[in-house]
Amino acid sequence: MAEESVSPEILKRARKIVDQTIQRNVKGLEFLTGPPAKVGLTPKDVIYERGTLRLYHYHPLADEIYRVPLLLVMATTNKAYVFDLAPGQSMVEYLLKQGFDVYVIDWEPPVPAERNLNLADYTQDFIPTCVDRVLEDSGEPDLSIVGYCMGGVLSLIYAASHTDGPLKNLACLTTPVDWSEMGLTAIWSDEKHFDVDRLVDTLGIVPKSTVTAMFEMLRPAQKTAGQIRVWEQMWNDDFVASYRAFERWGNETLPLAGEYMRDTTKELMWGNKLFDGTLKVGGKSARLSDITIPVFAAMAEHDHIVSYKASKPLLELVGSEDKEEIVLKGGHVSLIAGPNAARRMWPKLAEWMGERSV
Amino acid sequence: MAEKSGKRPPDPAENFRNLVNEWERGFDAMANRFMGTDEFSRSMNQLQDLQLSMQKRFNEAMAEQLANFNIPSRDDILQLGEAVHALDKRVARVESLLAKKGKKKKKKANASTRSGPPRTKQPPSTRQEADDG
Repeated sequence: MAEESVSPEILKRARKIVDQTIQRNVKGLEFLTGPPAKVGLTPKDVIYERGTLRLYHYHPLADEIYRVPLLLVMATTNKAYVFDLAPGQSMVEYLLKQGFDVYVIDWEPPVPAERNLNLADYTQDFIPTCVDRVLEDSGEPDLSIVGYCMGGVLSLIYAASHTDGPLKNLACLTTPVDWSEMGLTAIWSDEKHFDVDRLVDTLGIVPKSTVTAMFEMLRPAQKTAGQIRVWEQMWNDDFVASYRAFERWGNETLPLAGEYMRDTTKELMWGNKLFDGTLKVGGKSARLSDITIPVFAAMAEHDHIVSYKASKPLLELVGSEDKEEIVLKGGHVSLIAGPNAARRMWPKLAEWMGERSV
Repeated sequence: MAEKSGKRPPDPAENFRNLVNEWERGFDAMANRFMGTDEFSRSMNQLQDLQLSMQKRFNEAMAEQLANFNIPSRDDILQLGEAVHALDKRVARVESLLAKKGKKKKKKANASTRSGPPRTKQPPSTRQEADDG
């Protein structure tokens, strides 16, 4: 009988599987017992803080920077370190190296005494105060804002209600404008069934568990699938590090001030007033058509939180002549963090903003 | 037996990953179909309402007990916190007004007195033109 030999390719594959299995067991223990992932490592200073609000200024990483400072506005449901997950995986680090002077609005969990913070507080107090601080700190008369998700909504409301203000450029990333297209979130918060008054009046602060549950219900299999993937890739240090950073961020959702939740539900979700141009916040009109500064919009095709249809109408609604949009394959988070963001969104944002930051 | 064709042997790890991806997609699609119904929304919100009713009754009972012992209730503490928060807001407004007043008198600091790199970076298109020229 002729001697049969095993294909070298199969032998190599088998050896790889054995190696990975051994590493999986060794690193699995490290994974289970290790400290939380280190995130948000790019050096920064806290230049303003008040209650739930934090304003950071990042240390420059370029020898020469653009004149106009850049203020990133984070969504109120999550921590801003998603902009700065890890060295090499940080939009903040990228923008700093491209020569931007970067500031970030971040949020701490609102305490019970902050239950009465409403949409006006965020858009007519917090953002304008941070804008003033950025201008004072930088010594410049104007600035650009980049808002992510609900941070984009707050930025739009600020821009629309401060048309004579110092805002020079505005970028909105996965920002919902047409709230009737918010899919499952709209169905679950339907006026017929969702008693937001009862929720807010009873709890004061909408707990983090409610916010987390809402996100998890949008993709119920994601957590389990993620855990299976990380177990399978336990031998891959880069994959595990990235997973742990994203997992930490996903777990650190924030509670919401009750009145802010009430306003968002009634004015934006039920009334869709941002879309139809009838929104008034703190007595000021916030019509998107009043925005005439340059606007950049980035959307994700497969965004399960802010659907493409919810964010698409932005450029049609603003009154700006100088406007541009980019649509990326991927989801809500991969638009701003991850390899796809680093390859496409960050360079496009930097190029667009760079042209308008002198 | 040596490989006769040029086909790669199956990769069990890749197959497993594909299986997990397919399972996740399928499960999410099925769950979303179920959870995207009016009936689900009604049931979910009814459950939440029930939980809120129980929470409210518990809060009221606790407040009554604390009042009996002459101990401040949660609402009392919250009101105190809100008063502090309102004061904080007023202080912030005053600080802002003072800063604006101060700014009018102060000249804008020139580049030599303000720390940090010079704000002289040019836009990408200008740099490109300079490189091409």
